[in-house]
Amino acid sequence: MTEAELSLFLEASVRLGIPLALAALGETISERSGVINIGLEGSIIAGALGGALGALAFGSAGLGVLTGAAAGMLVAAVFAAFAVGLGADQIITGTAVTLGGLGMTGAVYQARFGATGTELSLPTLQALPLPFLERIPLVGSALFAQAPTAYVAYVLAPMLWYWLFRTPAGLELRAVGEAPDAAKAAGVRVRRVRFLATLVGGVLAGVAGAHLALAHAGTFAENMSAGKGFIAIAVVVLGRWNPLLVLGAALFFGAASALQFFLQALGFDLPYQLFLALPYLLTLAALGGWVGRARAPAALAIPWESE
Amino acid sequence: MTRPLARLGGIERRFGAVLALDGADLEIRAGEVHGVLGANGAGKSTLLNVLGGMLAPDAGVVEIEGRAVRLGSPRDAWALGIALVHQHFTLVPRLSALENLALGAGHRRGLAGDLEKLMARTGLRVPLDARVEQLGVGDRQRIEILKALLRDPRVLVLDEPTAVLTPDEVDGLFGLLKELAADGRAVVLVAHKLDEVLGVADRITVLRNGRTVLTGPSAGRSVPELVRAMVGGDAVDPIALGLTGVDAGATGAMSRPPAERGETTTSARALHAGGVVVRLRGAALADRSGPGVHGVDLEIRRGEIVGVAGVEGNGQRALALLASGRAVPDSGSAELPSGIGFIPQDRSTEGLIAEFDLVENVGLALQREPEYVRGPWMRWDAVRDAAERIRERFEVAAPSVTTLAGALSGGNQQRVIVGRELTLARDFLVAENPTRGLDVAAAAFVHAELRRMATEGVGVLLVSTDLDEVLGLSNRVYAIARGRLHDVPEERRTREGVGAFMLGGTADG
Repeated sequence: MTEAELSLFLEASVRLGIPLALAALGETISERSGVINIGLEGSIIAGALGGALGALAFGSAGLGVLTGAAAGMLVAAVFAAFAVGLGADQIITGTAVTLGGLGMTGAVYQARFGATGTELSLPTLQALPLPFLERIPLVGSALFAQAPTAYVAYVLAPMLWYWLFRTPAGLELRAVGEAPDAAKAAGVRVRRVRFLATLVGGVLAGVAGAHLALAHAGTFAENMSAGKGFIAIAVVVLGRWNPLLVLGAALFFGAASALQFFLQALGFDLPYQLFLALPYLLTLAALGGWVGRARAPAALAIPWESE
Repeated sequence: MTRPLARLGGIERRFGAVLALDGADLEIRAGEVHGVLGANGAGKSTLLNVLGGMLAPDAGVVEIEGRAVRLGSPRDAWALGIALVHQHFTLVPRLSALENLALGAGHRRGLAGDLEKLMARTGLRVPLDARVEQLGVGDRQRIEILKALLRDPRVLVLDEPTAVLTPDEVDGLFGLLKELAADGRAVVLVAHKLDEVLGVADRITVLRNGRTVLTGPSAGRSVPELVRAMVGGDAVDPIALGLTGVDAGATGAMSRPPAERGETTTSARALHAGGVVVRLRGAALADRSGPGVHGVDLEIRRGEIVGVAGVEGNGQRALALLASGRAVPDSGSAELPSGIGFIPQDRSTEGLIAEFDLVENVGLALQREPEYVRGPWMRWDAVRDAAERIRERFEVAAPSVTTLAGALSGGNQQRVIVGRELTLARDFLVAENPTRGLDVAAAAFVHAELRRMATEGVGVLLVSTDLDEVLGLSNRVYAIARGRLHDVPEERRTREGVGAFMLGGTADG
């Protein structure tokens, strides 16, 4: 690879990693509270459609991100109502929400734009190069000439880390995810914490979806989330439920995705699926304890019922 | 002094179909240690949880200093100066001691300093930076108590705080409780042992079937009187009552049968005694959740009960797994007989499957016994008969053998387990805290069955944190500390003597 190619590769890595980072940071918060939101994919696709419709209605990509966030939150609220409110099984509820989200967005899209899917032309999120920072050799333009949503992820990761590990509220959230009965005995309102954490996860997944529609594609397509919700859940594991590591893991997954495109473009004969599989192998390694010990919150995916 | 600091009146609370509290009353005065007594399922914990704001009552009044209040959450209770130390640990294992103490305290500034002062004043010391999962039960209990004291409560409520402490630590805790009361606070205490409660409490309240049946000063009360109030009749087993087992010997069954010398007596036991049925040599087993055991040399003969006393978390789990053949030693050797019964400590998670009925639960254990299988098939008729025999012989209060195990009370669940494991224990029985959480009648039943097994020539290993139980039943006594067994000589078999051995390998935390 020449330097120009390398620079392009890095830029693509970050671009592909950002939506994963946003969704995974949100999922980190909800999983730390003991809720595994398999419905993340549903929030992402809802965020993509919500973002597209919002951008179209208001003629502004920025407002589109907000409507996307709202759509993602709405889907997460449905999940939380069942999984947290009623104590339903999180895996089954999440699967239903994902499949429902994919189907509903497709239906809305077709009802609005016709079965053939008129090519949507949306206001897009333009790259916003940061002065000085973008001039850092090699990585500058990759990291700092991105859509504004990328900067949200950069800032959010350390903020969430500080919040989780250094504030009383973060302590309460982690306690809820580890031992909800103990948290209740300490005066924490378990259900409320889990509900809010799931909504935060939905907001960020919605932003990730809006980013896909408005910064990447400039349009909406059915199933355009393409499994990113599930990848984000793997990213959380690889990042060991730590926002800073999760950001790094998301960029790493982004790089792996970028690599397959590059190898194809460069005419390599190796099956690109090999590179696509690499991050998942690492995730398995993390779960198996070979890349440091990854320990999920003890009460993850266990519905909690108060007496 | 006449106006109570806190008063619970006519409290009712239902869990599903079970009426846990049926009009219970409790009156607590400033400056007193108040003992709450009752058999299993009498509603002690429920009543304390109502006072601590963990459970909302279905009916009844809660008054603090004469004013009716509503305790909807632990926060409400704290605001009124009530702090509850739970029976089950309510700590987050992966957080540090300090984080656990900060949880719910809301603020962190100056917390470490406050804690240092509190620890110095009370003598309850814990390593603040250690993760709770790395600490022993003694430390965990201290953290729980510190957590409550940190709120500077006017009413301190403790639900069974002594079960996991050594006799010395219990004395220390009771000294502290008396100081707190002398300070003008009120302390409410539930403890398993009647003599413990009588020793520390100024006044007592006895619950039976969710109702208050007796309340008043503790001075001048006798243990039998309290037991009659608790069970509503005459009780049977001095060990379960908290009388020290050694030479409590009005009852014939209590006199300790000689162990080695048993071979020369002419009792029925002598016919069987002598044959070594279990032999552990230098056995070691690692345990992820505890210290494991190492260098265990243990021989158990037919007809004897060998007791192992110790503070919880010192390797009892690993020892029970080794002796019952549930685990193979990492090093050393274990020679075990074929007919082994194992009464595990945790009825609900290890002993029975709540969603299975009694036949299935019994079948689960008998499926390796030749008479209950035919080729690859289970002989369900034989299993059903066995379950039926257990239900009748052990007086399990279940309408039929197709009742789900989860629908039974703790005492009846234990009867099922004991019955099933005794069926299997042709040669050897391992019992791990077999009476934990049982009321006096159920505990007496289990003790009688253990003795009966021994007289029938079965070797029994009794692993228990209940010192009185070990002393009262065993022919030979070991103390377990930090994963090592210490043989306790005959002349040291008293609470204090064994207590010293339990601390033997340096105290647990």
